[in-house]
This record gives sequence, structure tokens and C-alpha cells, in this order.
Amino acid sequence: MSETDQNFMEKTDYAGPILKVTDLQKSYGKLDVLTGIDFELQKGELVCVIGPSGSGKSTLLRCFNMLEKPDGGTIELNGHEIFGAGKTRDLDLLRREVGMVFQQFNLFPHMTAEGNVSIAQRKVRNRRGAACRDRSVEMLNKVGLDDKIEEYPDRLSGGQQQRVAIARALAMDPEIMLFDEVTSALDPELVKGVLDVMRNLAEGGMTMVCVTHEMNFAREVADRVIFMDGGVIVEEGKPDDVLGNPQQERTKQFLGLVLAH
Amino acid sequence: MEQFLNTFFDFQFMADHFDQVLAGFWVTIKLSLVGGFFALIWGLVLSVMRQLPGKWLAPVRGLTIAYIDALRGIPLLLVILLLSAGLATLASEGTIPREIGIPNWLGESDPFWYGIMALTLTYGAYMAEVYRAGIEAVPRGQMEAARSLGMSHGQATRYIILPQAIRKVIPPLLNDFIALMKDTALISVIGLVETVQVGSDLYSEFFNPSGYTVGAFLFLIVTIPLARVVDMQIKKQDEKFQRGIP
Repeated sequence: MSETDQNFMEKTDYAGPILKVTDLQKSYGKLDVLTGIDFELQKGELVCVIGPSGSGKSTLLRCFNMLEKPDGGTIELNGHEIFGAGKTRDLDLLRREVGMVFQQFNLFPHMTAEGNVSIAQRKVRNRRGAACRDRSVEMLNKVGLDDKIEEYPDRLSGGQQQRVAIARALAMDPEIMLFDEVTSALDPELVKGVLDVMRNLAEGGMTMVCVTHEMNFAREVADRVIFMDGGVIVEEGKPDDVLGNPQQERTKQFLGLVLAH
Repeated sequence: MEQFLNTFFDFQFMADHFDQVLAGFWVTIKLSLVGGFFALIWGLVLSVMRQLPGKWLAPVRGLTIAYIDALRGIPLLLVILLLSAGLATLASEGTIPREIGIPNWLGESDPFWYGIMALTLTYGAYMAEVYRAGIEAVPRGQMEAARSLGMSHGQATRYIILPQAIRKVIPPLLNDFIALMKDTALISVIGLVETVQVGSDLYSEFFNPSGYTVGAFLFLIVTIPLARVVDMQIKKQDEKFQRGIP
């Protein structure tokens, strides 16, 4: 492993996109899920990805941290190729830099909230003792759960669980945060708490990609909105343009369906 | 009826020979605990080897599956006979060292250790399947969440998957342990004097089967409470499940 592979974020003279994807392909057997995606993400940018179910938006997100292995194309993180013609990089190193929050929370049920936030810090970042715990408490504070530190996930509401999951990802000091329909499994009254946490993150300058059905959130917070359908990016641009004045027929149809109710 | 009672429940005979049967049962207990301990560990190792990721480790996975299939498909009695005859033959030919071929470790006889090996090999395969069921019952998202945080497959298995899987498989593992304990009786065929062999010896000498009866009761004193523990564990898990805890 060469020296630059040791840390995906070391490249001081690099000013290009933090994440760059070209001609990304992915299929499950005969089903083509992604058919040539080109995508760039600048540092500090917040991009919302919208589209009908089955459009490939979650798969695209999962390719960004290689939970799904693409079939073709390239992915560059901070100028380092992490997928492409060259050899495969150490994915565990990559994933430290890319946090992910899931639709189903995926908290570790045998650990407290603090344990959930601490475990990867200890095992991956080698943070020990008080330093690790302090960081976990700080992150749980940040998502408004300072009174739930010692609770197990089954004692928390869905919204609280999801906020623990966000704290867990943030504690690793990621450069990018990926959000995969994080409010879709929540009761309506719990959605706001999670979205507020995400708004705060965005205001703090975090680089974020959010696959979401929350059109209001996308309109208010996103720097850019991407509409995907059938494994391709159909339309992208400023939220007001894509959501308010879509140019493509498929975008109009989709928005007509989701904004109508 | 009286004839029946005199045959199987000759209390005077039972009292006279209780010490002998109890000594045999102590061997059964030792076999069960030592064999069960090694089988638990070997089974866990097998189940983890079976789940190793990546195409480079496919041969390891294949060999592990072949091993588990084979040992689950061969009678334990045959494994005991094969091991004892095979190792003793190899040792006497000088192919393997005598200390390994005819083991007398820690003051126990070689049939004892052949028995431990056979129990470990066979019950390790059974238990590997139990562990695997437990590992597969942990939702996929757990592994994904752990990997997304930068943990390696090994770390995720060790700290996230196995702690959840093992909790789920404690009742079926206890069931396997009960079965293992009863199967220790098979080791009597290679000359180990445990509960059943003591009963046989008494029967040969005195033409009285009450020694077997004592042995049967000694087994029940351990196996019935264990079975109750299994039931309680399952009930506890069911209640948790109904409250929606994974």
C-alpha cells in the first residue's frame, strides 16, 4: 500500500470535488440498477437525491461507501480512486471518512446509546477511555439526547434511535455524511426532530448527500437537488428550479404525484 | 409386579453398588463438561470460518461446509471407533508420536481422550450449524452499520454479530449439550468405564439390571433441570420478541 492510500483525506493541494463518480454501473443479475451515473460533490455541499422507488438512488448512495460494489465506472474520494481500473483500496480506511445513516437505524441492540457511539471510535479510531466517552457524550448532546446516554435502543423511540445513529456516524469525524431515507421509517411526529439535527449539521458546513422523500427539507436546505429515475440522473439543479420549475417530463410526473397529497 | 420391581428396583442391590455407579457417573460428567467445552469452541470456530467473506476464502468456506456435512452424517459411534483404532494403530506403527496416538493427558485414560476428540469433532459440527442459524438471524443491517463505521469484517463479527447471535442460540446449544451428555454413553464401547459401562459390568457379574436403573436416574437428575432451563430461556426470548426487541 502506497503512502497516499494510508489516508484518503491527505492531499493538501487538492481542490477538486471531494467525491467524483463517472459512468457508474451496477446491476443485480439482469436488473440494471445504475446505468451510467456521473456525479460530483464539492466540500461543504448538501445534495438531496429524490426519485421514485426502484430508481437506484439508494444503490447509488451505497456505492459511495462501497457497501455495494459497482460493476463499472470510477469513484474518487478526495482525488484518490477508490473504485475503478486500479487495485481495490482498503475499504475500511475509506469508510472511516464516509459516515452513513440508514432507514432502519441499525443500532446495535446489545449496547447502550453511548456504547453504540463509542464502539467504532474505540476499535477503529483507537480512542480510549475518557477521550472516547467524552466524544460520545458530546455527539449525543449534539443530537439532543444527553438524557438518554445509558439507555438501550429498545427503550428509545424511532426518532431517538435515528438520532443516536447520526451521533454514531458523526463521532467518527467523517468528511461526508450519507443519509439513506432516514425519516421514512419514522412516525410523522418524530420526523421533525431528525430533520432538525440534519439542518444543524448542514449549517455547520457538513458535506452531505441525502436520499429523501422530504421535499420541504430538500427545498429549504439543499444546495442542489438530483432527480433520478430508471438508474440515471434525469435532472439536477438548484432546489427551486428542479422542484419548482422542472424541465423534464418524468420529473414533472413524479413531483405531481408526491406534492399533490 | 413384584417381579418387575425386584428386577429393576432391587433397592438393596442399588444401595450396595451406588458408589460404583456414582463413580461412573462422575466420568460421564467429566466427559460432558470437557467435551461440551471443546465442542462449543470448535463449533464457533467452524461457524465463523463458514462465513468468511471474499472470493479468496471460498476454499476455506467449502472445506468447512464439507467437514460439517461429513461429521453430521457419520454416526458418533463410528467416529469413536475410527479415532481410537486409527490413532492407536498409527502410534503403534510409529507414524505419529505415542503421546498423541495413545494420549494419557492429565491422568485420564486414552479411551477418555478418544471420547473427548470424537465428541468435539461431531458435536462441533452440530453446534456450528446452531451458531450459523444464530448469525444468520442477526439482521443484515447490523453488519452493514458496523462496516459503514470502518470496522473490519472480523471486528464487526466479534463485537456486533456474535454477541447478538450467541444470545439467540443459548437454548439450542443447551439442547445439544443434553444430547452430547447422553451420547457419552457410546464411549463405553472402547472400554471407558462410565455410567453405562458400570451398569453393564454389574449386570454381567450379578445378573441384576438395577445398576442400569441407578444410572438412568442419575442422568435424569441432570438432564431434566437442564431441559427446564432451556424452556425458561426460550420463554424469556419469546417475551422479549413480543415486546419487539431484536
